[in-house]
Amino acid sequence: MTATAVPARAPGEAAQHVRRRTLARTTTVTIVLTAAVFVTFCVSISVGDFPIPLRDVVPAIVGAGTDDAEFIVRTLRLPRALTAVLVGAAFGVSGAIFQSLARNPLASPDIIGIDAGACAAAVFCIVVLHTSAGITALGALGGALLAALAIYLLAWKRGMSPYRLVLVGIGIAAMLTSLTEYLLTRAQIFEAQRAMVWLTGSLNGRGWEHVRAVGIPALVLAPVVVALVRPLRLLQLGDDTAKGLGVRVETCRLALVLVAVALAAMSTAAAGPVVFVAFVSAPIARCLLHTPLAVGSAALVGALLVLLSDLVARRLFAPTELPVGIVTGGVGAPYLLWLLVRANRVGRGG
Amino acid sequence: MEEVLEVPHVATNGDRPAEHAPRAAVTGASLVGEDLCLAYDEREIVTGLSVAIPTGKITVIVGPNACGKSTLLRALARLLRPRRGAVLLDGRSIHEMPTKEVAKQLGILPQTPVAPEGITVADLVGRGRAPHQGWIRQWTAADRAAVDGALEATGTLELADRLVDELSGGQRQRVWIAMTLAQGTGLMLLDEPTTYLDLAHQVEVLDLLVDLNQRDGRTVVLVLHDLNLACRYAHHLIAMRAGAIVAQGPPGEIVTPELVTGVFGLPCQVIRDPVSGTPMVVPIGRHVNVADEG
Repeated sequence: MTATAVPARAPGEAAQHVRRRTLARTTTVTIVLTAAVFVTFCVSISVGDFPIPLRDVVPAIVGAGTDDAEFIVRTLRLPRALTAVLVGAAFGVSGAIFQSLARNPLASPDIIGIDAGACAAAVFCIVVLHTSAGITALGALGGALLAALAIYLLAWKRGMSPYRLVLVGIGIAAMLTSLTEYLLTRAQIFEAQRAMVWLTGSLNGRGWEHVRAVGIPALVLAPVVVALVRPLRLLQLGDDTAKGLGVRVETCRLALVLVAVALAAMSTAAAGPVVFVAFVSAPIARCLLHTPLAVGSAALVGALLVLLSDLVARRLFAPTELPVGIVTGGVGAPYLLWLLVRANRVGRGG
Repeated sequence: MEEVLEVPHVATNGDRPAEHAPRAAVTGASLVGEDLCLAYDEREIVTGLSVAIPTGKITVIVGPNACGKSTLLRALARLLRPRRGAVLLDGRSIHEMPTKEVAKQLGILPQTPVAPEGITVADLVGRGRAPHQGWIRQWTAADRAAVDGALEATGTLELADRLVDELSGGQRQRVWIAMTLAQGTGLMLLDEPTTYLDLAHQVEVLDLLVDLNQRDGRTVVLVLHDLNLACRYAHHLIAMRAGAIVAQGPPGEIVTPELVTGVFGLPCQVIRDPVSGTPMVVPIGRHVNVADEG
């Protein structure tokens, strides 16, 4: 028994107190994150070679600004910022689902080969098939789904062992990465360059077609994610416990995997593999919320990360723009190292 | 040894007045396994086993390692689909029923449940209410009462806002039992709930299960390793060996040196437990008193 004093509360209040505190924290964090996303969104639209005063950003978005400002905002910067928000949110949710399902922080789509599948397929499209951007995006989608299927089948052995999923995923990622490299060595210099920019993950020149390509599937998948969060919370307790609590484990897990793969794949198709966003968003969200699952906040953190990283990538060496993936990689790599060191020390292998 | 010596009379437990939350939703749905064949992949563990769990009683399943006792428990809890035969919950095949409906009548605490990193006790116990929630029906006063009742019954009320990771083994086990309890089922199945616990915590957990049985008339089924504790805490003892039931009944009637030797392959004496009056098994190994031998 512990020495903790029993708080004097009315019956039925002890758990309620904890619940209420969690709810209050969730509300605060959500409001703060949403505000941060909105501010970064506006700043991102405001700055550039043709600066637009921050106070003119919202009028320009809704069509009440000057003609110049309106053109720059609505044709160039707004779709780019919207793509950043959508891609970031989708990566964040995808990572949160994968990491919770596998009960392992290493099991994010950019580590276990989902993104690598998209990359290999996209580079194949660019280098071998010489496809347009739209077809390349579709190819990336197909590649991600194929990689996910291969991982699922290879890792499946009388159920899904999280550890095996991560190991198989890392193996698949390595294979697909070497395939990508091989394709690049075979490519013409111009195509190789095009492929490299895509491979680094870039939001440069993203227009309304990209917003639509990510936005429409995201709108369709959002209610599915909301519906699946409840079974996901129970799956976190282990398969047998979840089954005992009335979850149709295999059905729910398959649905969750499909949704998470689709989110990662469509984001990768639109912006390339913006590495480490899926990997770090959910852990950051969980730290902020103090809960074991934070899907909504992971989406907000993901959006904020991509917006901020793109802002830095655009302005750090202005007028030269870096691909956003270089910035997110710089943020994510130290975290990966820290995680590996910590996992080794604790002796859990992740 | 004969297989299946007797199938006990299935007692029915009348409705008892509710005193404390959480109340069992259905006091004592009957649970019966008929002609069960249980297998993992190609390996058949249990063949043609029939069993009836006495309603409103504590049933303990014992047997040597790999005798199929956990497999049987998993099948009774519909975690494992039998290759042949059926598990009947109140006469209905458990695998044909919607799993959520089963979850309102039968709770299972698996051998190794996983507590996600950073989960609080209140959150974990609250997840036991999942079978009672749906799209429209969210968190209600009944859920609140059930969770607090479960925390109170297991003596974990003061741990409500603590992280599960930080608890001791005994506390953690009581929290998991609280989660199963919050589910509010008349049937509770527990797979080796005392593993990894020291003796004091083992007795504490078993006492708690007796409280739950006596207070609400819950049917409790558990797999245990310790024969002497099993004899003390079981109304009904099921002894298994090599995937079959060797004997079952009240411990005082069935536990004999012959049975224990037959089941565990170990010579022993059975004496009267000086505290409880139940049978107490004293094993006889190749060495019996190392200090004197020296």
